[in-house]
Amino acid sequence: MTLQSTLRPLRGVARRLRENWKLSTGLVLLIGLILLALLSPLISAAVGQGTDPVAIAAYQKWLRPSPDHWFGTDQFGRDLFAMTIGALRVSLEVGAIAGVLSTVVGVIMAFVAGYKGGAVDGTLSTITDMVLVVPSFPLLIALSAYTKNVGIVELGLMLAAFSWPFAARTIRSQVLSLRARPYVELAKVSKLRDLEIIAYELLPNMLPYIGVGFASSALGAIFALVGLEVIGLGPGETIDLGKIIFSAIGTGAMTLGAWPMFVAPIFLLTLLFAALNLINIGLEEVYNPRLRGVAGA
Amino acid sequence: MTAVATPERASGRGLRAWLGAHPLAGYAIRRFGLYLLELWGAVTVAFFFFRMIPGDPIQTFIQTLQQNYVYNAQASAEVIARYRQEFGLDGNLFSQYLHYMYKVLVQQDLGPSLLNYPTPAQDVIMRAMPWTMGLLGIAAVLAWILGLLAGALAGWRRGKFGADLVTNLSIALSHVPYYFLALILTFVFAYQLNWLPARSAYDARLQPGFSLEFIASLLRYGLLPGLSIVVIGVFSWLLSTRMLMVPVLGEDYLTYAQAKGLRPRRILTRYALRNCYLPQVTAFGISLGFIFNGNVLVEQLFSYPGLGATLVQAIGILDFNTIMGITNLAIFSVLTANLILDLLLPLLDPRVKYWR
Repeated sequence: MTLQSTLRPLRGVARRLRENWKLSTGLVLLIGLILLALLSPLISAAVGQGTDPVAIAAYQKWLRPSPDHWFGTDQFGRDLFAMTIGALRVSLEVGAIAGVLSTVVGVIMAFVAGYKGGAVDGTLSTITDMVLVVPSFPLLIALSAYTKNVGIVELGLMLAAFSWPFAARTIRSQVLSLRARPYVELAKVSKLRDLEIIAYELLPNMLPYIGVGFASSALGAIFALVGLEVIGLGPGETIDLGKIIFSAIGTGAMTLGAWPMFVAPIFLLTLLFAALNLINIGLEEVYNPRLRGVAGA
Repeated sequence: MTAVATPERASGRGLRAWLGAHPLAGYAIRRFGLYLLELWGAVTVAFFFFRMIPGDPIQTFIQTLQQNYVYNAQASAEVIARYRQEFGLDGNLFSQYLHYMYKVLVQQDLGPSLLNYPTPAQDVIMRAMPWTMGLLGIAAVLAWILGLLAGALAGWRRGKFGADLVTNLSIALSHVPYYFLALILTFVFAYQLNWLPARSAYDARLQPGFSLEFIASLLRYGLLPGLSIVVIGVFSWLLSTRMLMVPVLGEDYLTYAQAKGLRPRRILTRYALRNCYLPQVTAFGISLGFIFNGNVLVEQLFSYPGLGATLVQAIGILDFNTIMGITNLAIFSVLTANLILDLLLPLLDPRVKYWR
């Protein structure tokens, strides 16, 4: 294979990125946020200069924002800038774990249901709908209130347990429409096994939708966790963006001049939200050209 | 043998023939059966989910009783067993489930609440319900109506600067969780500007009643939580309405209406927007569950005394009867709303044919 031919698909991708500003802006934002999160140990080291800037009583309490502490310090004297970046990393990790898990479950359910059809589809879809109808948020509150000291992985698992039906539902409807395409019929006529058809014919065409499903469930998980923490029911000791918002509200940080404690996590979450949302819309526009110019969503 | 079987077969054929002649009735029966199945399934899923939470509410309850009344003697096993039985927490999980279903279905009794013992759970729920109905009901319907109108306009005037700005704004904001906007609104209007109260449902100094002062206070306190639900709702309804509108706008009958010299406003409201009503009504039914979920957080954030905040409190002390009561209510409303919409739809729109 020559270099030219290996690069061709990449060039296609690059063109699509150039053509669709939503997709490219979203990706740039997301990559920026991920890089920021990955750099959090370095940032923490740079801020602390040898000491841990987020240790309890590392500095004075409630320092105002200054060149030394860009966001000031919190009620325990922790540097808020380093803490916020570290929390961003935790939030992203939880979202990624929950997103991967619920996408995998959703994809399996959707493919089995959508491809097999008939009674299998009926049963699986009814189960999916039942889980969708049960108000998931109260369950999440209950689970988290009684499972103390859970790690990031367990958190991701818990959140995924309630977000897979959304992914399953979206992907199933796509499988249903793909199943009827002529090339799938051709594959069936040529005696390919079900699994082969799913793997070689359906899955590649589904990738953008799976991507959208992943992004939405990751986002849903991050915001569900933040929601839990904001009302003070967050599980465990992990500091994510929601926990910082909660302590900002609880300590009255706004009245103490520590506004970054509230504004910074909200700003980061808004950016993250905008990034994933733009990617979702961009992907749909690229892969579903009928929507182009017509839909805004 | 055959003589016995014949009438049965005949009646079977009769039923089928009747169903053939009345397809709508057949559809309605099947849809209702599915409704019952979904109702049972969702309640069962919720029951087992909640019961699997570790923790012993009775033990905690007795401990608080002892602390409150300086009751130093250890509660006897008899007392504990008595409470367990009263709350339906004795026996294994499956017999608890049967017991619960029996009480709810046959005796219409949700059991006593722990939150406010010995008040029955249904009374606790009934007390919180008007608040949620008032806040959530008004906000959700208002958001739907405003979103539909704004979406129609945004589609109608597409390409114009204002309409496109609003559309892009909705794309950015339509999936923001309610509580997120609530946080920002509280920060700006309650803490920074000090214009509106950030907590509770009415001024505690006022006596609840039909006085002008009290109603004004209700509106003032409800503004921020209501606004956070309405604004996000309007954005998402705007987007979906616009998506339904734009393809319709290219249809020939609209060009014809224009050629007839009808005024644009009439074309928009009578000709174009009508196509969006039905799908949006269905979508409203589907979205009820999510709206309830979002509302739980909003109520908790604003300490609004509705179902959501009550639910959070009940979970805090594992008050299973109240938790299940509110959950069942939410499940019941969402499924029933969808059932009614599904049954009404074929009547409203002759093109909809579910039965085939």
